[in-house]
Amino acid sequence: MADTWADRLSRKAGYDERSAAILILPVFVVLMVVALYPIIYSFYTSLFDIVLTRPWRRPFVGFGNYARIFQDPMFWVAVQRTTVYTVVTVSITTVFALFVALLLNEAFPGRRLLSALILLPWATPSIVNGLMWKWIYDPGYGLLNGILVQIGLLESYTVWLGNPDRTLFMIANAAIWKQMPLAAILLLVSMKAIPQDLYRAATVDGANVFQRFWHVTLPALKPGLMLVLVYETMISIRHFDLFLIMTQGGPGDASYTLSWQIYVETFRNLKFGIGAALSYLLAIATFVLSYLFIRGFGSKS
Amino acid sequence: MSVEPVTGMASDGGRSAMMWRRGLRALIITVFSLLLVIYVAGPVAWLVSSSLQSESDITAVPPNWLPPKVTFDNFEAIFAPPKREVTYETRRQGDPATGRFLPSGAENLLPSLWNSFAVGMAVAILNLVVSMTAAYAIAVIHFKGRRAALYTILVTRVIPDIALIVPLFLVMRQLDLVNTRFALVVTYLAVTVPFTIFILISYFEQIPRDLYRAARADGCSHWQALRFVYLPLSLPALVASVMFAFLTSWNEFIFALILTQNITSQTLPIIISGFVMDFTTSFSFINAAGVIAIVPPVVLAMMFERYIVSGLTAGAVKG
Repeated sequence: MADTWADRLSRKAGYDERSAAILILPVFVVLMVVALYPIIYSFYTSLFDIVLTRPWRRPFVGFGNYARIFQDPMFWVAVQRTTVYTVVTVSITTVFALFVALLLNEAFPGRRLLSALILLPWATPSIVNGLMWKWIYDPGYGLLNGILVQIGLLESYTVWLGNPDRTLFMIANAAIWKQMPLAAILLLVSMKAIPQDLYRAATVDGANVFQRFWHVTLPALKPGLMLVLVYETMISIRHFDLFLIMTQGGPGDASYTLSWQIYVETFRNLKFGIGAALSYLLAIATFVLSYLFIRGFGSKS
Repeated sequence: MSVEPVTGMASDGGRSAMMWRRGLRALIITVFSLLLVIYVAGPVAWLVSSSLQSESDITAVPPNWLPPKVTFDNFEAIFAPPKREVTYETRRQGDPATGRFLPSGAENLLPSLWNSFAVGMAVAILNLVVSMTAAYAIAVIHFKGRRAALYTILVTRVIPDIALIVPLFLVMRQLDLVNTRFALVVTYLAVTVPFTIFILISYFEQIPRDLYRAARADGCSHWQALRFVYLPLSLPALVASVMFAFLTSWNEFIFALILTQNITSQTLPIIISGFVMDFTTSFSFINAAGVIAIVPPVVLAMMFERYIVSGLTAGAVKG
């Protein structure tokens, strides 16, 4: 019974297409309402001069919002802060993750326990991550000051997050703590995919540990490294949670990044047009950077 | 790499050199493992330790690494809040754990914990249902336009979340869904679904197509092929998807901040961030709230570590 029923259905022209449409429909309905429509609406908004404190006049300005952003000195401050934060976070995360992956690629007792343990930061909610480090950095009672003074590296308690020269690096450190594990796992997986024969051949040829790492591991890791770089860049360049919970863009404008500027323009200054245009600039930057990474790595291999 | 050298085994000198190298290797691995454990677990241990200390103990200089006197007063204040009839006496008494100050809104933690659980569970289940059907359609049924469908789904993750918030808020207000958990569930579905579909597609594509042909030849409908062939063979990816969806919605902050403004729908991160930004709240209490928020995701991640790693990296291995 079932056979003939299914056969008949299958033979009917368009069964595949109809099934596919039904199976994919729920996702499209959700994405349409919650993602695609807002994306398009947001672009539309970016072409108007919408200020919520002046609701009666919202003239069409075309790309005027974008032009105004480029003339705003705070935008360039934000670009600079975002660049520093992203470069520091992505580079340290990647190098650190590479070392951790090399360690976890070795066979030793406790390795499985260790690789489960490094998921701890990954699973930590970013808000808790933020408050945890804020408390560690606390100028009066924090652990960082406590340890550094106790072991004699510091003479007296000092200000960490509240010092404009340090803020971005302090926030980056919290971000690296959370982002390193996933990067390490991704690199570890690509490492495990390298054929052992390559190492044996290199050893027979007289290559030492460092030569094997440089000539065998690193080239084979290129796709994995590219993935990590793209992923970490996308996460860091638009990161928001830590900036809200730890510094709110401060002290002064020391951690005034692009995502923080979007938040301020949209929700504090209520300039929806400018906020939307800024978001689009950030999206384009993300897109271009990912493309460049993929191109750069692709051409060498 | 732990590949043994092929030469130099014969002489005594060679052997002792090898023993020395083995010892060195074990030493290096031990030292780096310990450093890694301290780096990863240290901050969280300090979070837990200071959540068990009273206000006077956490403000000690130098800091107490371990609680000199363990107190559960913070957790008691959260899980068994005292009657908050405000009289002159209760005002004066306050709560000893939080420096005689229980933050206003402490009683909101428990409902928000429940909200986080409810939203997380709903997202985990719905995400799996809609993603597996869509992934099956794209990976298995060779219909026209499957590439376009996939790219449309993936491109929704390129725009920063913060760009979507204003239009999303307007949509939700139009649908009368602001301040509901349902709004969060739908939003987090859109956030998690693209990645889940990507993972499931790469898993489904590794399953031999002959199994699919055989199932269809035996008269299976597409639904049956998915149910009896593809799902049983991709268990790690399914578990990873559920975990990923739950953890993402448990941890999400910025959407919940804008879409929910009262305790009927606010999740744990929103309530906690309120404490952090209120300068009068003791860090002893804030840390206790942080511990509560950290426990469920960490327990899940540890329990399902194997599945999470193999599932999350399924798409990455292909390069």
